[in-house]
Amino acid sequence: MSALSSYKILELSEGVAGEYCGKLLADFGAEVIKIERPGSGSPTRHLGPFGSGNDANERSGLFAYLNTNKRSIVLDLEAETGVETLALLLDKVDVVIDDHSSGWLAGIGLDPESLESVRPGLVLCSITAYGQNPPDERKYAEDLTVFHTSGWGFHTPGAGHEDIPPLKGPGRFFCNYEAGQEAAMYVVASLFDRESDSRGRFIDVSMHEVMVSRADYVVAQFVAGEMDVTDWRGGFDMHGPGGIFPCKDGFIYVFMATPDQWAAYRKMIGDPEWTHDLPPDWLMKGLTPERIALTRRDLCEWLKSRNKVDAAHEAQALGITLVPVNTPSEVVASPQYQHRKYFVDVTHPVLGTVKYPSVPYRMSETPARVVTSAPLLGKDSEEVLSQLSEGIRTGKGRD
Amino acid sequence: MAKLQRGGPLAGVRVVELSKIWAGPETGKHFAFMGAEVIKVETKGSLDFTRFDTLTGDINKARGFMSVNPQKLSAQIDIKQRAGVELVLDLLRHCDILVDNLRPGAMERLGLGWDVVRAVNPRIVQITMGMYGNDGPLASQTGYAPCFCAIGGLSSLVGSAGKPPTGMNMRYADSTYGTAAAFAGLVALLHARRTGVGQFVDVSAVECMTTMVADTMMDFTLNGIEHGCDGTRHAEMAPHSTYRCKDGDWISIAVSSDAAWEALADVIGQSGLSTDARFNTLTGRKANEVELDRIVSGWVATRAATDLVSELQARGIAAGKSCNSMDLIADPLLWERGFFPEAAQSDGASRPIVGPGAKISRAAEICDDAPWLGADTGYVLGDILGLSADAQAKLKADGITC
Repeated sequence: MSALSSYKILELSEGVAGEYCGKLLADFGAEVIKIERPGSGSPTRHLGPFGSGNDANERSGLFAYLNTNKRSIVLDLEAETGVETLALLLDKVDVVIDDHSSGWLAGIGLDPESLESVRPGLVLCSITAYGQNPPDERKYAEDLTVFHTSGWGFHTPGAGHEDIPPLKGPGRFFCNYEAGQEAAMYVVASLFDRESDSRGRFIDVSMHEVMVSRADYVVAQFVAGEMDVTDWRGGFDMHGPGGIFPCKDGFIYVFMATPDQWAAYRKMIGDPEWTHDLPPDWLMKGLTPERIALTRRDLCEWLKSRNKVDAAHEAQALGITLVPVNTPSEVVASPQYQHRKYFVDVTHPVLGTVKYPSVPYRMSETPARVVTSAPLLGKDSEEVLSQLSEGIRTGKGRD
Repeated sequence: MAKLQRGGPLAGVRVVELSKIWAGPETGKHFAFMGAEVIKVETKGSLDFTRFDTLTGDINKARGFMSVNPQKLSAQIDIKQRAGVELVLDLLRHCDILVDNLRPGAMERLGLGWDVVRAVNPRIVQITMGMYGNDGPLASQTGYAPCFCAIGGLSSLVGSAGKPPTGMNMRYADSTYGTAAAFAGLVALLHARRTGVGQFVDVSAVECMTTMVADTMMDFTLNGIEHGCDGTRHAEMAPHSTYRCKDGDWISIAVSSDAAWEALADVIGQSGLSTDARFNTLTGRKANEVELDRIVSGWVATRAATDLVSELQARGIAAGKSCNSMDLIADPLLWERGFFPEAAQSDGASRPIVGPGAKISRAAEICDDAPWLGADTGYVLGDILGLSADAQAKLKADGITC
């Protein structure tokens, strides 16, 4: 049995954040009906990576990933009839997810301000860059600009890399995925509460606030005046000799902060003369640029003759936190990922059978699973809309 | 009846947290912010090391700990002793969720494995968090946030194009991992409410990271393309980068359409730029991106960040300052939206804390700061477990509680 199989969700989203939110819920069995614009469908159908095939609407691996287990109906929300049909659909669903700009929902007759009186049982989730009614200087946003206004951009990479301009996060949709995850969490919490009182909720997810809250460990200390606020790029960091270093076949990451880790490290690099005079707790209380440089010099020397997997095994056996920096192909090939079946084969009518990333949680009773591949554009229009008109003819309301 | 009545969607839900550092506490924090009663069970001999703050020297005022544990209760029960474990099991009969991020295998060794826990409460949801997840050939390995990013495939993607990876800022990972765990836990909680059946939820930190770059992974599984560091570049937008302003600040600009480019070219005002055929399509801008960035950089370098953001936004162009820590705590929008609610400890000392990433109707009131160690032991033993004053005194005398 799937945990969310009794819930119906209408997805108005046309971006990664909202589609990811819908996917997380659909993979737990919720019936997610995706509304797509006529002709070209969701804009994510036209973002890469692309597979082969001639149909421009059905080649996107991004869309295929984000829309597993969903149904697709085509509806023109810029036409009056489209908005009328939407109103009928709204009578039949438990949740609506949207990720258009603030104000868009009101334009299609679903104003968050009047939600409670008009549709008191509906859970309405709006994901926007800066929340409802943003100020003029925050009206237009992309993933990159949110990454930067949230503080993550300025502090990436961080201390020791001040010569590099502030970077982008990994991939293209980093903040979108974070916001989609947050939204899904609040939708489920709202459904939980709704079981007892049948009341819906408005959920206003600000991608910006989600990202700032992801740095709560440091931002809470900044705002409480407990940690210095500065214009230094290393201002988020813990400092020390740890970091990413080259080895024979790529890179490893090592973390070193405690006396135990220092003792193990000395052993690993053969206890050279210069380490003998250092206080055992220097990583916590005696960091100097010279000590850090010497530590890194010997580590790099040690790594030269080792590949990443062997280096990690050898170091971990001594109690040192050293791990490989995996490339995408190495993640896919990892025996651990294979054991946990993180990548699953999904067969799509156009893209064929491809390994998809699944979810990072295993559930003993209601595992997330991909039952159907992402829908072709409008695949379910006829069925969903005829059920709807049937319902109107026979006078059946909410089922 | 919960000790704190704060409302919210999880009012009436009770959570026990056996978690340390950041990720596990983040999961509990989400529940607490939604109104659940979250009880941290802490053992004096093996405290969360974020309770040790070299600056304040006070376990009740430890800065890192307070950052991720607001709105929770604390009970001091020694789970290294069998009688302490028995108390926890008794407590679990009255709880809906158990969260732990102890070392792999530690819960089983303590006698708090899933088989034991479900036997005392078949409705409970047990969320276990581990770097590699709860099983598999590498499950015994442990690590910290930057390890999750390295293993999960994020770090190799962050850095200047063609250079060795630098990885994300080292603070990234725990809160994301904690959020994924909270989401999965809530799905299980909803299922338990509807069916009476609890479950075991096993969350992997490294898989959480991989999920944040899922489409990059798809490019490998679909097309065999191995992505590496790409600086600030984006396949479907140009310009798409960070640029240094005249005052030394940085701003980010992302141009997602030809219309936005036309607007930007117009603001830059360089003669012939808006009609330059090299730049009027995305394909052209991508092909000439080095030259494009040179032009934008040269122009941004003559301007101040704040003015520039307003000017670009007024023309419909996505732009934002690359914010440092001073900017973050002074951000007027964050204050206006109540993102930094005021929270008080039991001694009345209050301070602003970091609120949740979403605003919801009928939200829980957020007003309580992190608990003092063992502040709620009496509530747990007396009010929840119904132990007499004598029984409580004996537990204390035996060193099971403090």
